[in-house]
Amino acid sequence: MTEAPLISVENLTRLYTVGEEEVRALDGVSFDVQRGEWVAVVGQSGSGKSTLMNLIGALDTPTSGSYRINGHDVEKLSDDELADLRNNEIGFVFQTFQLLSRSTALANVELPLVYRGVSRKERRELAVKALESVGLANRMHHRPNELSGGQRQRVAIARALVGSPSLLLADEPTGNLDSATGEEIIRLFGELNRHGHTILLVTHEPRLAARCPRAIRLSDGKVVADGPGAEVASLGAPPAPPPHAGAAA
Amino acid sequence: MKRLRRAWAELLEGFRIASGALVGARLRTFLTTLGIVIGVSTVIAIVAIIQGLDRSFEAQIQFLGAHTLYVDRAPWIQSDNTWWMYRNRKKITLEELRAVQRESRLAVSVAPMVGTRAKVARGGVELESVNVRGTTEEYLEANGGGVQAGRFLVTGDVELARNAVVLGTDVVDRLFPGEAPSAAVGKKVLVAGRPFQVVGVLERQGQLLGMPLDNVAVMPYPTFGRIFGTQRGMVISVAAPPGKVAELESELTPILRRARRVMPGKPDDFAFNRQDQFLKLYKQLTGALYGMAVGVGLITLIVGGIGIMNIMLVSVHERTREIGVRRALGARRSTILIQFLIESAAVAALGGAVGTAVGLGVAQLVALLSPLAAAATPSAIIFGIAFSTATGLVFGIWPAWRAANLDPVEALRYE
Ligand SMILES: Nc1ncnc2c1ncn2[C@@H]1O[C@H](COP(=O)(O)OP(=O)(O)O)[C@@H](O)[C@H]1O
Ligand SMILES: [Mg+2]
Repeated sequence: MTEAPLISVENLTRLYTVGEEEVRALDGVSFDVQRGEWVAVVGQSGSGKSTLMNLIGALDTPTSGSYRINGHDVEKLSDDELADLRNNEIGFVFQTFQLLSRSTALANVELPLVYRGVSRKERRELAVKALESVGLANRMHHRPNELSGGQRQRVAIARALVGSPSLLLADEPTGNLDSATGEEIIRLFGELNRHGHTILLVTHEPRLAARCPRAIRLSDGKVVADGPGAEVASLGAPPAPPPHAGAAA
Repeated sequence: MKRLRRAWAELLEGFRIASGALVGARLRTFLTTLGIVIGVSTVIAIVAIIQGLDRSFEAQIQFLGAHTLYVDRAPWIQSDNTWWMYRNRKKITLEELRAVQRESRLAVSVAPMVGTRAKVARGGVELESVNVRGTTEEYLEANGGGVQAGRFLVTGDVELARNAVVLGTDVVDRLFPGEAPSAAVGKKVLVAGRPFQVVGVLERQGQLLGMPLDNVAVMPYPTFGRIFGTQRGMVISVAAPPGKVAELESELTPILRRARRVMPGKPDDFAFNRQDQFLKLYKQLTGALYGMAVGVGLITLIVGGIGIMNIMLVSVHERTREIGVRRALGARRSTILIQFLIESAAVAALGGAVGTAVGLGVAQLVALLSPLAAAATPSAIIFGIAFSTATGLVFGIWPAWRAANLDPVEALRYE
């Protein structure tokens, strides 16, 4: 592997000040992700997974440390440049879908291209293609409240894909879905990964993390494990449930 | 090119979002724009009425000659509490009239004007209080207007002090009900109990600031003196060639000072009155009305603007997550700012358009139900809409700024 990693995180730290107290949401996190990887980020609630995703997604800026994506030194960018970086390099998928309720599926998917200055016609074509690729060709003119949870998340994934970003970020994309639908969504991510998309996916379900080639475990804002998904997932299996013979974290 | 296309696409998106938001919250849109509607309609109505007044006033003022000086002992238009300054001045008399007639080279026509109120009667009809004027054949030259039937006074009427009278249309209408004005010519009427022959009927002049101008009977100046006495003061109307009014005034001043024996160094004890002084007074009056319109407009626009600001703040608050989503997908701060500015400008423009329509409607209604006239000028319409749009922009700045500066992470997490 001589190629530079797609993202490179070094010593990333994010502090929050709550009243008098300082919360280390992220505490010296370092790792690289190569192009074409599918990485799960796991950890207990409050371990810093969302904080990490927001930093990698250029929605937030770190207290210290450095972060590069696709050759951009993110900490050196202005607010406008961060917006453009999100537009060009990142595709977000959220737990709560975050679709615009008054707009149709098609309009929702077109939105990132509006902010990129793509012509109307091209926008339409790309959005249709993206919706087709997630299997929603026949739901384009529906509004979010006319769609099921799984369908909404597919629209959100189409929106994340439409601009051909270099990285897909998904923060608990199955968190608001029943397990069968969640399973479908994870399968969709797997398919996208096979087509070459780089994916960073937050989940607290070891079962899903276990299916990723690689997983990173966070605890109290620190990376405590980074390795094949199956291994890392089993490491942090919650004390009570599934049938794993994992060692305690 | 790409930047331009992006800006254009964002602008269109801004309009799309704005129209969606406005239609989506119809009641709120209505309430928001109510302040603007009331403000703009008030201003538009006042302005339309003033502009209507302007037109009718300009028509009314024509009875005073545009190039004529009216020499009187006091100015007709006085500022507050100055009447006592003029009270003790000598009347204008025949002596000054003669001096002006003799010495002025510029004067085109010189006519004395004396007046009183007297009874005019014919058959069983008695008009109690008609404005009776005494003058000469030169009166019409100085004052404009004309006769619609018969003739005006002629030199012979004046030199022989004939009992000849020219009547205004109000007098004719009442003395000769149902007859054409020409029917009055040649008939006999009684003025202050004396028999007079009607030689002509004046054209209708309407009213000036509510005073009727057609309730008049004009007779030769010597005849007037014979009946009503020669001791009352007169006004001398002196017409100048067009554009020479100021020159005429400089010429007449020393003539009048000599005739009235004003000591050197003492101020003039007479005044020149002109049509444009009425115009000036009128402008002052309407200026005050305009001022009121502007005051009312400003206050209501500010109130309306604050309404818009509040509603926009609520809208920003409600759409916090939407803003977060847009920021996550690549919208810059400026994009969000413009989006909300478009929205508040659009609400305000809508209110301005409705307000303009309502205001013009009210003005038309006032014109229908009262003697006032109303005029709708394109400039008023453009002004109304432009002004309210500007209000929307100004009062939209703070909410839009708040929206643009939301933290994307916080905004996305907002419940
Ligand atoms: N805006 C914030 N202000 C203060 N503390 C925060 C904020 N966001 C996150 N935190 C804290 O940072 C830690 C990590 O949070 P988060 O990244 O959301 O965890 P996770 O997504 O793994 O559940 C938690 O302790 C949380 O309370
Ligand atoms: Mg989280």
